[in-house]
Amino acid sequence: MHDTKLSIGGCYSLLLILAATIGLIEYGGLIAQPGSLLLTLTFWGSIIQGAVAVAAVTALVRAQWIASLRRELLALYPLLLLLALLFALLWPQLDLFPWSDHPTVWLNRPFFMGRNLTSLLLTFLAGRQLALHSTSGAPFKDRYAVIYLATFVLSQSLLGFDWLMSAAYPWISTMFGLYFFTEALYAGIAVSGLAMLLYFRPRMQTAPKDTARHLRDVGLLLFGFSILWAGLFFAQFLLIWYANLPEEVHFVTERLASFPERELCWLFLIGLFLVPFVALLGSQAKGDLRFVSAVSLLVLSGLFAERLFILLPAIPYHGGALLLYNGLIFVMLLLVLHSSERLLPSSSFLTKD
Amino acid sequence: MQNTSSTEQIEQDVLAAMSRPSRCYLACIFFAGLVFLGGMALWSRQIALGMGVAGISHPVGWGVYITDFVFWVGIAHSGTLISAVLYIFRARFRTSFNRAAEAMTIFALMVAGLFPLIHLGRVWLAYFLFPYPNQRQLWVNFRSPLVWDVFAVSTYMLVSLVFFFVGLVPDLAIVARRRPGFVGKIYRIASLGWVGNSQQWRHYTKLYFFLAAFATPLVASVHSIVSWDFAVSIVPGWHTTIFAPYFVAGAILSGTAMVITLVIPMRRLLRLETYIPISHIESIAKILLLTSLIVGFAYVVEQGLAFYSGNLYEMEQFRFRALGDYRLLFWIMVSCNAILPLTLFVGRLRRNLAYLFILSLLVNVGMWLERFVIVVTSLARDFDPYAWGNYTPSLTEIGITAGSFGLFFLLFLLFIKILPVLSITELKER
Repeated sequence: MHDTKLSIGGCYSLLLILAATIGLIEYGGLIAQPGSLLLTLTFWGSIIQGAVAVAAVTALVRAQWIASLRRELLALYPLLLLLALLFALLWPQLDLFPWSDHPTVWLNRPFFMGRNLTSLLLTFLAGRQLALHSTSGAPFKDRYAVIYLATFVLSQSLLGFDWLMSAAYPWISTMFGLYFFTEALYAGIAVSGLAMLLYFRPRMQTAPKDTARHLRDVGLLLFGFSILWAGLFFAQFLLIWYANLPEEVHFVTERLASFPERELCWLFLIGLFLVPFVALLGSQAKGDLRFVSAVSLLVLSGLFAERLFILLPAIPYHGGALLLYNGLIFVMLLLVLHSSERLLPSSSFLTKD
Repeated sequence: MQNTSSTEQIEQDVLAAMSRPSRCYLACIFFAGLVFLGGMALWSRQIALGMGVAGISHPVGWGVYITDFVFWVGIAHSGTLISAVLYIFRARFRTSFNRAAEAMTIFALMVAGLFPLIHLGRVWLAYFLFPYPNQRQLWVNFRSPLVWDVFAVSTYMLVSLVFFFVGLVPDLAIVARRRPGFVGKIYRIASLGWVGNSQQWRHYTKLYFFLAAFATPLVASVHSIVSWDFAVSIVPGWHTTIFAPYFVAGAILSGTAMVITLVIPMRRLLRLETYIPISHIESIAKILLLTSLIVGFAYVVEQGLAFYSGNLYEMEQFRFRALGDYRLLFWIMVSCNAILPLTLFVGRLRRNLAYLFILSLLVNVGMWLERFVIVVTSLARDFDPYAWGNYTPSLTEIGITAGSFGLFFLLFLLFIKILPVLSITELKER
């Protein structure tokens, strides 16, 4: 029987192949519309960085929640490099942004690419340092988690302001940075819920009490973050609705007046708030593997719907390419999760509460 | 046997704080009371002479009183939040702070509640804010965030009081057991027949967790509503979507600073070093650092996006804040709230009590100034240059503000002699 687990070298090679494949599809004349890559990046940028950020936060506060998944979340760090590689492929596509014809001090091609690439690479390096330090067996030093979280906040703020908000330039919302790094943490917890699906059964045989408690913690965090997300979402759109300024409301009205954005809006409200809130309200549901993993999947779907809601009116896209990119990265994520023990050899810090 | 003696010791040590007051304590009570009475006298004068004695005028119609309201509501919001959130996350260090933080919440809310009345001028008409049926068909405007405030703050007051009281019940029974006579009877009545059997503990734990879970989003929502007093308008510098989380983070920052300001001297004067170890104070210093980072992030985003947007009014507003007539206050605010707390990245400073105490005072100054800068500068530089005008607080406003601090500290000083300042039952569990 072949070992299907990736080594670290194999993982990086596969990432390069994946980036090259996407680059080939984007620039090999296979598709006419260029927006799928940006859409894919805004989605996976939050998920991958958020998953490692959840591991960093739990390490920093010595939290007991999801401690049994810390290794799996940290093992996703090579994917942070994939984000940087894919972002570099965006360089010829900056015409997608409405500011590209009228550059400003902040929004101009070299600075846009430079700051975002730098932040993505810094996040990768910080994530790698954090993951490797966690496996070194030395007493854990908080500074690695702090540095990762600082780069994470920077990257996610830029994701919100540069990748998403500037697609609707000159429309602004000061909430976008904070909103997207909170959402990325939410996505990271949802990844934990999905990872539970893979690891619950084997771990129930070795440590049933801890595993059950950690599943409940994931459920509780998903529930808590659904409320936090709803609060931020409401706080943002209440002000836009209340002030009713033409330069602000057009962002919402043009999306709510057309298909499929209107339907996507319902989908992400259901996925990111209504279902997690209602389904996980009861204490039994929080400890039910099927419930927690289904809600996690729905949260990630809601996140995807939200990205489409924000970007679709502003950029073109190719449906087939979008599906293919997201499918490939999802398979890569599963492979990395599956290989986590080989990517991050065990240390007491990773597994202890 | 050893276990029994240690729990006995905890009771003795914590209740020792409620013993006969020292001269120093009485002097503090006298001073705080005097400042409070001074503030009350000035408010009486304002009622008698009219709002002309305050510095607020056109175009700055909201001044120090609204600043004070937001400041005290902010202080109030972090008390319950610190206590409830740390309880939910099973943070053990909460036992050192939760009682003081919850008491602080109640007192700060009492003080905050006075300022809308003071600002109103004709305080006898305050009941107009409540939706009551009447023959004159007066009805409140439910689309006004000022009315949302009335409901939000009063709900919060109610929940905080219940949360505070429920947490006190087992301790009140202990005080009742240890206090003879009439005073003991009062504590016994207040402890609602608590005997500490397993059934009572089961119900108590459930209720306390429920209240903590209920209070946490409530805190965030209430301070969000306070932020919307400003943000729902279209005034430059106020109408910005980040206001709700920015105000919540600011509230936790100022409240955490106030907890440190109160707990460090309390720890020393009441000899509670064993129960409030340095490691716990270090943990709360980390919360101060975290919230300071969020507030600093909000400062950068606000300033940055004003210029990103290219909106002339927003750009002028933020230029005015940083370089205009109130620039000194702005830079003190930035230094105290976003720059100085960065020193807490150094572990040695987090464990230095004198440094932390001074820093907490500076953060409180910075947070008061933050509210002043937000409230005043936006009104002073609105859209129309013809209507621009600066504002300077009058002595009456400054005196009433000082009086509010007098009232707050007076209430806190009374609290430490009437109720246990630490949760005895939680200390026993620890």
